[in-house]
Amino acid sequence: MSQSLVESLKEYVVKSYAMKPNRLVIEVEASKVREVFVKLAEVLGKESFYLATIEGTDLPEKKLIRIDYFINLFKHDAYLVLRAYLPRENPVVPSVIDLIPGALAGELETHDLLGVLFEGNTYLRRSFFVPEDISSKGIYPLRKDSGV
Amino acid sequence: MVEATHLIEIPLTVEIPVGPQHPALHEPLLLKLHADGERVIKVDVITGYNHRGIEKLAEKNTFYRDIFIVGRVCGICNAVHANCYVRALEYLLDVDPPPRAKYLRVLAMELERLHSHMLILAVNAELAGYETLFMYLMKDREYIMKAKEILTGQRVLADYMMVGGVRRDIDEVKKSRILDIVQRVEERVKYYHKVFREDATINKRLRDAGRIKQADALAYSLVGPVARGSGVKTDARAHDKYDAYNEIPFNVITEDYGDSYARAMVRFGELYESANMVKYILTHLPQGNPVPDERKLPRRFPEGESYAIVEAPRGELTYYVSSSGGDKPYRVKIRTPSLNNIVNSAFAYVDQMIADVPIILGSFDPCISCMERAVITDLRRGVKYQIPLKMLGGVKK
Repeated sequence: MSQSLVESLKEYVVKSYAMKPNRLVIEVEASKVREVFVKLAEVLGKESFYLATIEGTDLPEKKLIRIDYFINLFKHDAYLVLRAYLPRENPVVPSVIDLIPGALAGELETHDLLGVLFEGNTYLRRSFFVPEDISSKGIYPLRKDSGV
Repeated sequence: MVEATHLIEIPLTVEIPVGPQHPALHEPLLLKLHADGERVIKVDVITGYNHRGIEKLAEKNTFYRDIFIVGRVCGICNAVHANCYVRALEYLLDVDPPPRAKYLRVLAMELERLHSHMLILAVNAELAGYETLFMYLMKDREYIMKAKEILTGQRVLADYMMVGGVRRDIDEVKKSRILDIVQRVEERVKYYHKVFREDATINKRLRDAGRIKQADALAYSLVGPVARGSGVKTDARAHDKYDAYNEIPFNVITEDYGDSYARAMVRFGELYESANMVKYILTHLPQGNPVPDERKLPRRFPEGESYAIVEAPRGELTYYVSSSGGDKPYRVKIRTPSLNNIVNSAFAYVDQMIADVPIILGSFDPCISCMERAVITDLRRGVKYQIPLKMLGGVKK
């Protein structure tokens, strides 16, 4: 499964490796995330996977924010992690909400807690989770230097 | 030609807040309904009344302390939270717990599924107008809580999972007591199942309420009994076969129709499956010592990352744990099933009657303190409804 998936997505793969336990990680360019989802639907079929969650990690030493899309390929009993790196100063990635409406919760959460801007998602707003006294100061709590 | 001098704006809809006090369960959630007469045309799901910043808290505490913190994300499903996090740590450490511990973990989690499903079925009955049925179901649920107490020492917060095993072993007396309880409760569940199938009022209230098609369940990332009620065969226990699920036989229950009734039937089917699994575990429990020596566990974790999933009573629950080498995690990401099922499901209320909204919300088994999250509008329809008044009656789903 992993081999054939990497092969069919090879034009987008920057790097691929495994996350414990046996989750396939494919690194892609942030600007290509939407294309990868379209390709994935073509290769596997739209009804064989769903987006489980979106996770963001702050990496201040590398001046990057890492963003992971966890995709449950439930018809293949497998998991795929799409990974992209964004510049920490300007973390912008195209939203996939029109392709996958289930991305809503993940995109809103990652925006509010980490400050990633999902371009094209009109529902983004602060104080999704973060209380207003913190969000009004422009603080993103999951950034390592947020002081929260 | 007469020039218009006034612009008259007629509000298109009536806005009705449902919640945040007790919309279905006794937890805070606000459903802002936009209704045209009795029909709902849009719903904003507003949460965030419960956000406690547990992911941040987990970064500030050690790997081992976090086991107790994540167990408190949710009261009802604390064993699955702790199990998922503990397994994420075990993946990082390459630790494999002994078979007896794996069986006991599944036992605790299946007892939890039993009482969680009985709770939400009781709430479904209450929302449909049957307080007596609620009381009966809750009484029998209490026996399962007792069984969980016999196993873990606590009827709610178990704190049962440890890296490399479980906290307590079980002896023959406890085994026979739990077996006895589960057999008795199973008989009662059969009776409640019959009530749900045959009672005219429950059927009328639950059938066709909040129908979700299979394609929508997938596109909106719905999980657990909500997805399975719409015919999506997804179950983390079957996909990932973690702990002892590769040895214990069980079936993945699905229903095709996708309404509140189908979701209730999935839960009944899973009650039988869980009861059978409990009986299988108690009669096939491997020998050995399931309790690890805590003093021998490493304090510092190697660098790396892991992603564990577990089938919580409400659906797939995921934990991502990243370690930069040290005694504290670099990042812990928790995605609870209710986050997807409640935040993404605003579309399911559209074109339903106002009175059915609590029924539909109840059928999603909301766990607000679990998801603690948001402002959502219906995605399929967009935010604004620029349609003539005369078309209001014909809003199509």
